[in-house]
Amino acid sequence: MLSPKFTKYRKAFKGRVHGKATSGNALTFGSYGLKALEPGRINARQIEAARRAITRAMKRTGRVWIRIFPDVPVSKKPTEVRMGKGKGAPEFWMCRIKPGRIMFEVDGVTRETADEAFALGAAKLAIRTKVVARIGLGVQP
Amino acid sequence: MSKQTALVVEPRERAGRGAARAVRRQGKVPGVIYGGKEPPTNIALDIRELAGAYERGGFMSRLVEISVAGKAQKVLPRDVQLDPVSDRPIHVDFLRVSPDTRIQVAVPMQFTGQELSPGIKRGGVLNVVRHEVEVYCRADSIPERLTATLENLDIGHSVHISNVTLPEGVRPTITGRDFTIATIAPPTVYVEEVPVAAAAATAEGEAAPAEGDAAAEGGAAPAEGAAAPAAGKEPAAKGAAPKADAAPAKVAPAKGGGGKK
Repeated sequence: MLSPKFTKYRKAFKGRVHGKATSGNALTFGSYGLKALEPGRINARQIEAARRAITRAMKRTGRVWIRIFPDVPVSKKPTEVRMGKGKGAPEFWMCRIKPGRIMFEVDGVTRETADEAFALGAAKLAIRTKVVARIGLGVQP
Repeated sequence: MSKQTALVVEPRERAGRGAARAVRRQGKVPGVIYGGKEPPTNIALDIRELAGAYERGGFMSRLVEISVAGKAQKVLPRDVQLDPVSDRPIHVDFLRVSPDTRIQVAVPMQFTGQELSPGIKRGGVLNVVRHEVEVYCRADSIPERLTATLENLDIGHSVHISNVTLPEGVRPTITGRDFTIATIAPPTVYVEEVPVAAAAATAEGEAAPAEGDAAAEGGAAPAEGAAAPAAGKEPAAKGAAPKADAAPAKVAPAKGGGGKK
């Protein structure tokens, strides 16, 4: 699972997701991408689950890029603990996603395979998504 | 040379955010035409017409014939701003050009001969480093595409700009190095994670023949090798022990909490 190697602070504020993605909103590496349509949080486990689903659906062909990184620690209090006494321990890592963000990209597969792979991958994520394709000529036989 | 596109536009009186939004509410896209030693002109285009031209591909490297208030002029699209979520155009920039203007433009790459590439046949993946290549050329001779062949390319081989035949009068903006356009990368090997129980069973299975070998040979070296997996098993056994103790440990604080009350 993805997580930072080093962080300056162990715990972070909860934060809110406002606005649309101003960066990372266009295809950079691959021919097809999975774009977020609503704001939300994606944690490291969801990214890994989606990556596996996409890679499996592509049957070892093509290539996958992950364009998001979970760098926000989320803390949780243990069960049956009263409020107060400080913030809980870091539990998992997540990233805040703004609408328009390209989360995954693939290349080296057909549009049909990419659609199928992204449908399986998107099912692991907690936000609505859509598949986008690069406008251009691409690979011609 | 790339084909020309014709777009019908109308002049836009007011500039600014509010005026642009008003234009968008009417189903049009605000834009601007600049360059050619003339003052910039604000325009508005029909969104369907522009989106259709843009989504056909190669829009940014194709001359556009625009007529504003009856005056026809040749322009080159320089920027199309898209809404990040809906991917619909929200603004477009055009540059006035004359046929002999030398311009810098990004031309899309096309890759052919995929079936003739031994690397791709063996499962390699075409890793496109540059989907577009920036070139200098005359405005009336912008190439529609640059074609690179993948014939005889094996895994690990690359296509460089020197392998691409450029039309006459076209030269890349990057000079001084033979930059890479695409490579044939080895396929991504997907490693299935072995469950912990299965891994332990495998380790035990491996350890047994190793010990057997050691006994048969009677050598010191194999005996040491056999000891390593046995040592590896120990942490697993230790790891299992706290799990069994975990339940009582959880109960203890609850009891303590009750005592405090």
